[in-house]
Amino acid sequence: MSLAIIGIAEVPTKRDPERTRWDMLSDVCMGAIRDAGIDKDDIEAVISVNPMAQAQMALDMALGRVPEVLGLKGCKDICVLNSGGTSTTNCLRLAKYFIDNGQAKFVLIPHTTVQSDIPTEDLINFFATAPLDPQWEYPYGVTFNGAMGLITNRYMHDTGATAEQMASVTVTLRGWGALDPNSIFYGKPVTLEDVLESRMISTPLHAKECNFLADGAGAMVVTSHEIAQELGRPAAYELGHGVRFTGATPVLREDPYFIKAYRESSQDALTEADLSIDDMDLRQIYGAYPFTQCSALEGYGVCEFGEAAAIWAEGRCGPGGDLPCTSMGDATGRGHTGSGVSMAFYLDTVRQLRGEAGERQVSDCNHALITTSGGSVMNACTTIFGSAPR
Amino acid sequence: MSEYRKPLPQIQPFTEAFWEGTRNNKLLVQTCNDCDARIFFPRRQCPECWSKDLDWIEASGKAEIYAFSVTYEGVESVFREDLPIVLAWVDLPEGIRMQTNIIDCDPDRVEIGQQVEVVFKPVTDDITLPYFRPVA
Ligand SMILES: [Zn+2]
Repeated sequence: MSLAIIGIAEVPTKRDPERTRWDMLSDVCMGAIRDAGIDKDDIEAVISVNPMAQAQMALDMALGRVPEVLGLKGCKDICVLNSGGTSTTNCLRLAKYFIDNGQAKFVLIPHTTVQSDIPTEDLINFFATAPLDPQWEYPYGVTFNGAMGLITNRYMHDTGATAEQMASVTVTLRGWGALDPNSIFYGKPVTLEDVLESRMISTPLHAKECNFLADGAGAMVVTSHEIAQELGRPAAYELGHGVRFTGATPVLREDPYFIKAYRESSQDALTEADLSIDDMDLRQIYGAYPFTQCSALEGYGVCEFGEAAAIWAEGRCGPGGDLPCTSMGDATGRGHTGSGVSMAFYLDTVRQLRGEAGERQVSDCNHALITTSGGSVMNACTTIFGSAPR
Repeated sequence: MSEYRKPLPQIQPFTEAFWEGTRNNKLLVQTCNDCDARIFFPRRQCPECWSKDLDWIEASGKAEIYAFSVTYEGVESVFREDLPIVLAWVDLPEGIRMQTNIIDCDPDRVEIGQQVEVVFKPVTDDITLPYFRPVA
């Protein structure tokens, strides 16, 4: 079993309803195939990331429009996969199966999302009803921000993390985003005061610590390690993978901060890769809310429970720090493109491993760990990528 | 009663007893007769042992705040009149944790570990929602 990402493309994250879903989708699919250095007809399967809250686009993808519109004459099969924020991870898993059993040499994995043409009220409703229980949570006015505020509040109580330390996570994420032309916050860093003085949404979360919904698209071309090496172009090689489920409903979880899921999924992935957490040059954490940037480090074993917020506050996880984390910026530092956040995480990891991350480039980045999560962190899917096969 | 426009709980056949309980000012906790599990939220079968021999006990109505969050904005328009909304996860001594709102309180003085008690608020003829308020 082996998987390598050999081509990527992305459009900048923005709020711009003039850019249609199909405009962006076409651009990133053509871009990723060109970047891979293969012919369009070499693509033998298209596995699409389900676009959230966009029923028509989801149907277009599910019913085969992508290979038809792009004229992918070698395409043998299509599929759209949905597990919220981990949809991209599942696309990679199915692609690996297709590649391993000889069904496809090259698989295209696209994503596109426009949220700027969806009324705000509908988006609040979608993000409140999709991952929350309609009987036991929703009637109490729980929003996604509210649910994550509850967990953050208890996390700060249990760890002693201060509001300033928690805000430093967002300052750091925006620090990465400010250097990233694909971030909606490119050129727009924030200070601790900016975060702490922004409007209170759901305590302890300020507006700048919540997600900013935006539009975006990205695509990847994947193949086997062997073919990637034969092509002789820089690629990201998957070296190990692990996953744990935490539960669908926040109030019912025994491990509210997902520490165990971060620990066990990373241990499985690192064991398969025959590497240790100390071998990682970059940790990419998709949790969408700042406390996850802390609890993931605690789960990975980078530090003890309760120590991570101070590490973020010291600036060690940001650009130029000795423990670079989440150079992608996460949803708070880059803009939330629905199920596209995880796509953007993989694309940024590929850039870092290929040495193409510009001002954000982590020096000597040869091994990266990436964790994605779906729903309200119903799971932790951790993958180790390297700049070379094992 | 004026028209209630906020979302109502979507009741299932096996949760009807819970909502009948709240209508009668009783907070019920589902239990399993085979393994003694305390179950929240109520299910078709026990999530521990899959028994369908399920029962209910009446909770004391006391609880302790495990976590809370005061929401000031970002809700659907129907909830706007209630802002700020104090969301809370409360631990019942009967062994379950549930989502609720803390009402009749100063939102700035709500604390983790605070003792609270159930309050029943009829919102329609059929639905009474259980909320919690600080113990005086
Ligand atoms: Zn049982």
